[in-house]
Amino acid sequence: MSEFKSGFFVGGETCNGRVLIVDDEPDIRKVVRMTLQKAGYDVLEAENGEKAIETINTGENRLLLDVIVCDIRMPKVNGIEAIAYFRQNYPRVPLIVLTGFPDTDMATSLLRQGVVDYLVKPVEGERLKASVARAMEQRELAHL
Amino acid sequence: MASPPSTRVAIVGAGRGGTALLDLLHQIGTIEIVGIADLNPGAQGLQRARELNVPVYEQVADLVGNHGVNLVMDVTGDPAMEQRLRDQIPAGSDILSGPASRLLWELVQHESALQAELLHAEKLAGIGSFAAGIAHDMNNPLQLILGLAENLAEERDLDTVHLQARDIIEAVKRTTAICRDLTSYSRRASSHQDSRVAINSKLDEALKIARYAVALQDIEIRKGYQPDTIVKGNPDELLHVFVNLITNAVHAMGDRGTLTLETSAIDGVTQVRVSDTGCGIPPELLGRIFEPFFTTKPPGKGTGLGLYNIRNVIHHMHGTIGVESQVGRGSTFTLTFRHQSDPEDRSVRP
Repeated sequence: MSEFKSGFFVGGETCNGRVLIVDDEPDIRKVVRMTLQKAGYDVLEAENGEKAIETINTGENRLLLDVIVCDIRMPKVNGIEAIAYFRQNYPRVPLIVLTGFPDTDMATSLLRQGVVDYLVKPVEGERLKASVARAMEQRELAHL
Repeated sequence: MASPPSTRVAIVGAGRGGTALLDLLHQIGTIEIVGIADLNPGAQGLQRARELNVPVYEQVADLVGNHGVNLVMDVTGDPAMEQRLRDQIPAGSDILSGPASRLLWELVQHESALQAELLHAEKLAGIGSFAAGIAHDMNNPLQLILGLAENLAEERDLDTVHLQARDIIEAVKRTTAICRDLTSYSRRASSHQDSRVAINSKLDEALKIARYAVALQDIEIRKGYQPDTIVKGNPDELLHVFVNLITNAVHAMGDRGTLTLETSAIDGVTQVRVSDTGCGIPPELLGRIFEPFFTTKPPGKGTGLGLYNIRNVIHHMHGTIGVESQVGRGSTFTLTFRHQSDPEDRSVRP
């Protein structure tokens, strides 16, 4: 078995899993972190697709990252490009899109690529947590 | 090669009609205005003519008697003027006066109103493309506000409450700034007289607006501004021109590249340059880009009126617009304005 759900590993503390939030707005990363940390998740941040790819390829994250929450409109490597990379290289890590611009065509295309949820800002904390929890379940199923 | 001017026109009467006629005819390359005459030395058309380097006369005879005039346009509204002109004009020249002159004046007014309508319509059509940018800029602060408010409902630490409440206030201010920018941009260009416009800050304002229409985050923006660069024109129309040139440049680059904005004022000539490192324009299309309804964009993506309207605005300001382009390397649009000295008016509009 090469991959484990990170909750088993984080030293001594209760952790429901590790989430990477990718968004160019520090404010968004701040509130998403706040919401998810309160729900017991370990949260990592990246400010664009390039940084996100760097982060997932760093050390234990290769194995321990459970869910990615990703914006679309970002500098350098944008959300679409980053998602394509994650789907190809980390197909077992569920992806949630959190975008400021609702675009039906884009949502359809992303869901077809295997994105598990397409959330439009502003999204309520409960809705975000439910989405991440569902993605975590999917992640666990991927290990079975 | 441009053909030589074919019609030499003299304008008699420098009131509103004469001024409008002067402004219109001055934009037409095949017409040479040999002068304008009015008994009233303070007439607005004479002032305008001086700005345009068109000779001014107090006496009609001095204007129409020579200069090889082909056509005298009488916009005085004085019924006796036509006969006086007939006695003074050289053989072979024509007079346009009375009802014909009145009709022409009405057509000029109509044309000017149509151009203003077209400009506004094209601007409103363009605002549709702002949706993505507006959504991004509105929904991000709204996400922050919602997230913080949800947290505040349970937060017990008073310092955190204060801090987050302040964050909410700042986020609300950001969203109101978006509405302010857009309502000011979407309004109809004010019809006030041309004023002195500070070009550098107008370009910066245009960048702010263009952010809604195009993704600028991967565009490197270089500015080469000469301080205190000023042109005379309508500030709202100039803003529209700059927004249009910037969004065109970014479209040409496919959201990645370098956008260069430059201004200069040398020897009475003021220039604004907008350059991109985009796809460039093929030489066979260069001559057509200012034509109305000419577009290389797919249906529904462009009205084909952007550059046409830009050229009209710039011509109305008695400036010129030029383009240099290399396929695969990029394009540079250059606006050139000859300095029009107006020592009495030092006011600069934002």
